[in-house]
Amino acid sequence: MNDLCAEIGFKSINHAGEELCGDHVEIVESDDGNSAVAVLADGLGSGVQASILSTLTAKIISTMVSSGMSIEQCVNTVASTLPVSPERGVAYSTFTILNLTNSRELELIQYDNPLVIMLRDGKNFDYPTEEMTIGGKKILRTRIILKENDIFIAMSDGCPHAGIGNSYNFGWKRENIIDFMEPLYYGDYTSKNLSTILVDEVYGLYGGEPKDDATALTLKIRKRRQVNLLFGPPADPDDCDRMMSLFFSKEGKHVICGGTTSSIAAKYLGKKIKPSLEFVDKDVPPIAELDGVDLVTEGVITVNKVLQYAQDYITDNELYDKWSVSRDGASLICRLLFEEATDINFFVGRAINPAHQNPDLPINFSIKMQLVDKLTSCLKQMGKKVKVSYF
Amino acid sequence: MNVTICIGSSCHIKGSREVVDRMKELVNENGLSDKVELSGAFCMGHCKDGVCVTVDGKLYSVSPETVDDFFKNNVLAKV
Repeated sequence: MNDLCAEIGFKSINHAGEELCGDHVEIVESDDGNSAVAVLADGLGSGVQASILSTLTAKIISTMVSSGMSIEQCVNTVASTLPVSPERGVAYSTFTILNLTNSRELELIQYDNPLVIMLRDGKNFDYPTEEMTIGGKKILRTRIILKENDIFIAMSDGCPHAGIGNSYNFGWKRENIIDFMEPLYYGDYTSKNLSTILVDEVYGLYGGEPKDDATALTLKIRKRRQVNLLFGPPADPDDCDRMMSLFFSKEGKHVICGGTTSSIAAKYLGKKIKPSLEFVDKDVPPIAELDGVDLVTEGVITVNKVLQYAQDYITDNELYDKWSVSRDGASLICRLLFEEATDINFFVGRAINPAHQNPDLPINFSIKMQLVDKLTSCLKQMGKKVKVSYF
Repeated sequence: MNVTICIGSSCHIKGSREVVDRMKELVNENGLSDKVELSGAFCMGHCKDGVCVTVDGKLYSVSPETVDDFFKNNVLAKV
């Protein structure tokens, strides 16, 4: 059985003063999640025009490649579809395609973007490329059989151009970027965070005023890892044992959210629950210890905080500094779900807590169900396989 | 003496953090850290009366405003 999977994440910043990004990333995953196509396109210029060019390019290529069409057909379609710029008389968008098959093989197709950086065993790996010409365009192609922990970093030219005439005379060269990224190989960073770290550095090198759109797109090959999360007591109290035995029989780490829920688990396990009185974060109630469970937290307030972090993570990723180090319950859940897990099983209990049905309290049953729905959708956008079972 | 403070969702919203922090201060100020054991508990099932605090098993309803009085009458007086 293939227990490898790919994690894909990216981060973009805009040319200073532009509302729209001229780079565009499009990811299409197969239904089983083992195959995917990720395209990074960089449109000519910046602003609206660049955005239209790169969006069209990325969208067309990702759709066509994922339906199994040849690269020649894709390039020809893009060339005849893109609107021609009235100023420059050309239609132009560079692109990088990462075409993953069964989490086993990766095909790289590169047209005029900075060469993809590949890290293997902690070091830069110089992969061979084969040159082909399609419609007058010089395109590089590579096929690589993947190994666990391989990392691929695709960039738009806004990255190596960082710091031109400012921090570096000739920009942040590919070698420099490799030197910067290599030490991060062993850090267990997610693809999203690797992309963010790179682009944040680019932003700094531009002195906070990027002279170009800059994007990093990272694909990391990793082992599948399952995390199970139990949230809420079952609607029918007679279902407690069934819910607990299904939950605890799952492989991987176990997280329990909710006071009543953890009491039910404690009873099932025949262990005592020990809540802490340490308020690490003033907004998040303390965690508790329970033998046989990796993490026990309070319910709705903590999960609500996790949702806030999740929504930030899939957009600007600005709160990473907080949840990646803090020891509060919500941050601990974030690290397990966003960083460690590739597959997540939610066991959601639909009991209505009579104590919460008080109009003075800002928590009620529907909020809890909404939290689960929203969090599930965020996690799916992160590329996680999520299964939700209700009790 | 064992004082248990509920840190469940409902009591959290009603200010259990303030109660916990103030209780820790009061216990230290009065030099009772070897006599009074502060501990936490998830939901005690009396969310309406939060913040729920038990002193050797007896349930009290405390709020951040009443915590000083509560400490004087039910902890300090009984130690």
